[in-house]
Amino acid sequence: QDRIEEDKERGAVVEERRRLLSEWLAWRERETEDLEDERRELGLDAGRGDVEKKEEAEEGKKVVE
Amino acid sequence: MRPILLQGHERALTQIRYTKDGDILFSTAKDQVICAWFSANGERLGTYHGHQGALWTVDVDPTTTLLASGAADNTVRLWDVRTGKCIKVWDFNTAVKRVEFSEDGTQLLAVTEKRMGFLGTIVVLDIDPDVNAEQSDEKKLTITCDESKATVAGWSYLSKYIIAGHEDGSVSQYDAKNGEIIDNVQAHEPDMPVTDLQWAPDRTYLITSSKDKTAKVLSARNLEVLKTYVADTPLNTAAITPKKDFVILGGGQAAMDVTTTSSRQGKFEARFYHKVFEDEIGRVKGHFGPLNTIAVDPQGRGYASGGEDGYVRVHQFDQGYFDFLYEVEREQARK
Repeated sequence: QDRIEEDKERGAVVEERRRLLSEWLAWRERETEDLEDERRELGLDAGRGDVEKKEEAEEGKKVVE
Repeated sequence: MRPILLQGHERALTQIRYTKDGDILFSTAKDQVICAWFSANGERLGTYHGHQGALWTVDVDPTTTLLASGAADNTVRLWDVRTGKCIKVWDFNTAVKRVEFSEDGTQLLAVTEKRMGFLGTIVVLDIDPDVNAEQSDEKKLTITCDESKATVAGWSYLSKYIIAGHEDGSVSQYDAKNGEIIDNVQAHEPDMPVTDLQWAPDRTYLITSSKDKTAKVLSARNLEVLKTYVADTPLNTAAITPKKDFVILGGGQAAMDVTTTSSRQGKFEARFYHKVFEDEIGRVKGHFGPLNTIAVDPQGRGYASGGEDGYVRVHQFDQGYFDFLYEVEREQARK
């Protein structure tokens, strides 16, 4: 009986962590997009944004290989 | 995680900052000298002499060309990183408690102390990133904190906002162009000073620490409190780690029985929390007094802590640190 209770509790903790992680990742994705948009509006595409994109593209290539 | 002990300061540490590439770190203490160290081996690279009072704060620009510092001698100084020469002095009415370069290094903010007859302010200075340029005397913007003095402040992403932490535990968001206050939230307990404010790598969110024994992650866009980390001691500093989703907190109350403890190892600890789950996951002992400042290598390889004991301890993260994942994080990574 105790073990069933323990498992239930553990399950609830894991479920809560899953929720926190997906919430955080969704928030990060929105923030990153908003930041990209604001950079573009300010004409900053040529700056840091591009360097990062280039790095991402290179990383992407590695995956393909 | 065997630390390197940096011995050079004679008084309590006040701030540590890494260069963007993480290769050098700068430290300030109440002993009036700024030190530069190689983070890999702890060798002292140089010192910067000129301030006539306790040093409270230091920052380095994104290209490791210019160094800025603020002190109890009521000045902000700008230094040539390479030669150690002071290239500019700005005078203020009171001590300067915090300086920070904007993301692109073209502006510097300075937080000034409140004192009889003077309110606390946040002042913005234009910086010419050219080390040989004549720097402007002009204070481009002055934000006066009439409600509660600012204790710390920094620049958000795209230098859009100045975010400040205050003595009364609140956090404010100012328009960085005109200095107008946009928002103020009571992020920490009333009248529990905010002691540190540090950024996530892209500066869209930040972490604050407070004497109320908590640290908080806030959104720079709307000051929403996203995360709370609860400690059992007043906090002086908090930092966000890149690469791993951790935060590192430091603080501590100077114990009365410090002299009677026989242990050779310092008992004051840096505390690691999971950034998303808010759980404490580990502690690193070592200092003999409260931790006043923690800085994280922007490349994510390690961190440094500065204590009331006058020491800087530099730690390189080991493989166990990088491998550490919660089961739900592994699950997410497999998706």
